[in-house]
Amino acid sequence: MTETIELALKTLEAQLNQPLETALEACARCGLCAEACHYYRADAKVEHIPAFRAEKLRSVYRYEHDFLSRLFPVWTGAKKLDEPTLASLTEIAFSQCTLCRRCTVNCPLGVDTPLMMRAIRAMATASGAAPEILVMLADSAIEKGKDPSFFKDLFLEQITEMEEQLRDVTGDPTATIPVEKQGAKILYVPLAGAHTILPPAVVFNAAKEDWTLSIFEAANYGVFLADVSRAKQVAKRIVDEASRLGVKEIVIAECGHAYASYRWDVPNWFAGQFDFKVRSLIEVLADYIRDGKIKVDPTAIPEGVTYHDSCNLARNGGLIEEPRYVLKNVVKDFREMTPNRDEAICCGGGGGLVALAEYADRRIAAGKPKAEQIQKTGAKVVVAACENCRLQIGDINEHYNLNVKITAITDLVVRAMRLPKPLPGMEAEHLFEGEEVTVERG
Amino acid sequence: MSDTKLSLDFKGLLCPMPVVKLAKAIKEIQVGETLEAVATDPGVMADIPAWTRSTGHELVSLDKREDKTFKFVVKRVK
Amino acid sequence: MLIFQLLALAGLLAGLYGIYLRYAQTKRRALPVDKSPLKGNPQHGITYAFTKGMMPWAKESTRLHMIAYLRGIGFHIGIFTALGALLISPFWTLLPSLLSWTLGGVLTLGAILGAAGGLMRLAEHNLRGLSLPDDHFAVWLVTVWMAASAIAVWNEAWMAAYYLLSAITMAYVPLGKIRHCLYFFFSRTFFGKFFGRRAVYPHPEPVVMDAVVLHPVRSTTADERGR
Repeated sequence: MTETIELALKTLEAQLNQPLETALEACARCGLCAEACHYYRADAKVEHIPAFRAEKLRSVYRYEHDFLSRLFPVWTGAKKLDEPTLASLTEIAFSQCTLCRRCTVNCPLGVDTPLMMRAIRAMATASGAAPEILVMLADSAIEKGKDPSFFKDLFLEQITEMEEQLRDVTGDPTATIPVEKQGAKILYVPLAGAHTILPPAVVFNAAKEDWTLSIFEAANYGVFLADVSRAKQVAKRIVDEASRLGVKEIVIAECGHAYASYRWDVPNWFAGQFDFKVRSLIEVLADYIRDGKIKVDPTAIPEGVTYHDSCNLARNGGLIEEPRYVLKNVVKDFREMTPNRDEAICCGGGGGLVALAEYADRRIAAGKPKAEQIQKTGAKVVVAACENCRLQIGDINEHYNLNVKITAITDLVVRAMRLPKPLPGMEAEHLFEGEEVTVERG
Repeated sequence: MSDTKLSLDFKGLLCPMPVVKLAKAIKEIQVGETLEAVATDPGVMADIPAWTRSTGHELVSLDKREDKTFKFVVKRVK
Repeated sequence: MLIFQLLALAGLLAGLYGIYLRYAQTKRRALPVDKSPLKGNPQHGITYAFTKGMMPWAKESTRLHMIAYLRGIGFHIGIFTALGALLISPFWTLLPSLLSWTLGGVLTLGAILGAAGGLMRLAEHNLRGLSLPDDHFAVWLVTVWMAASAIAVWNEAWMAAYYLLSAITMAYVPLGKIRHCLYFFFSRTFFGKFFGRRAVYPHPEPVVMDAVVLHPVRSTTADERGR
């Protein structure tokens, strides 16, 4: 057995807890999960059935653990793990599954196929077979945490400039983007780039929130690698920052995997030293609107708007009605996709796939069901509260000629706040410029 | 102008795409050669130095330019 | 006859012991304790997973394949009936004839549905592609066993063959795919815990916030919900 295989098997064994063994054992191969998967919906072949993919790991597991399989491997499809099998497993887990759990909710037994795909990802990462770029992105993030001094001055310089923009658009000379504010109530964790800093800053200032901006980004590529050690190191940057500043709450930008991991995983990774409330920016927006802390014009967005449920936010995160509440307060013509919420179809961009250039064609092909869903709504604006979803929907927009505008929830809220001046990039009167729309001012 | 082997345009790309494209492009040049790129997302100011630190490549320069774009030069080290 | 009865009993005990061993093995494995703050209720999630969540209309997959799902449900009802019938088999002659005919009827139906499943596995492209020899064997084994149960209920001459088949079937349960009967309970429990904690299932009650109805599950039609 080579060292790679040994490492991969060791990683499988280390992960083999009750839920994983259950997922490996429970499948009855009834095939009901087929249409649950966007890959299968896009291209209906056996290889695209979630149970078929999972079977690849099951065969390895059976070879190691099942009595009958050791006697008659052919009977149960058992197979000894070797290099080509590991390569094929890795490819399946990183390019044919976005970990969306749609198959799980559609399985009569509730088999957690993404848990198995995560197990494969962890095996691949431990044995050095995982896609290099995900490892690089995770390691870069860890590097930033080790010594923030190498980018902090540049970062603060950016923030100062953004603050000027903020004051300009809001007409409020006291508006600020606080960084490292000791004792603030909220630590807001953006994604890299101004587009997830400036619009929330507008909202926080309008709501007179006691907040501070994190110097780190919410994205965590360790999560996509299913590498808990790396993922913890990436998350630790935020946990440490929150502890140091003494905040009460961590608010995560519109980002699917970051929300799901900080809300549902990080408290487990840092059990005993994590007593922060974690909310998504969407929940904060919903509360501000409900409590009247920000005023929004319900007629501000006259175009037909549809909402894409990010799998990490909705099915895996439980954020289902909050985004709808916010949207219904700022959008005149809201249209649901079919199906939606817990049954929403994955756009194809999850699981880190957007960053994997080598699988771009597959990812875009698997986005076809989402493209069709969007088209059927007739909406001209697609809202997604996840950066990876937005990137993917942007790609399928181009590929399938959807001719829609893709935006974040916060951007629509800021639009509906009717600032004295528009934010950069929001100068146009209408979100979607290809269509005549009547604007009614409320 | 310079001895850069590759000139890339990352304008309009949001993070992590500049890093994703950079990681791919670095393989197209030889060890010791440099590439340059222009980006518009301010996130590169942190992400590019972090990437060179974690991968061991050399960040020759990283500048913010008048037109609010960011130009960086990276040397392939290994 | 006693020897065949004992054989069936031995098969049953071997099967039960095998399932117990599987259960004990899985229980020995780590059970991650989730310390993330609750949004929903894991207990309610578990209840949902075993009740409403199993209804044919609860999932897109079962709505799409309603016939196949109902066939599966009927097949499994047949199996559990056959199991119950095996336990009381020494007393079959004491059953009132109506009950004995009903029992035979349910078992026959189970066997027919089982055979349909077995044929589907052979004929349908996707199912054939997914199936292992174990899958084909298991469905036919159980089907033949159910058929034998039905025949033996009506005709005592079949008792020996029936007990022999029962012994084989029961002993095979923990060895092959049939042990998913154990993992069904683990799986639905983990499913319920996961989605219950996150308030995804059961679908939350409608909440009115600022005149906008949240969680409009019960307040809107299935169509409006986009189903």
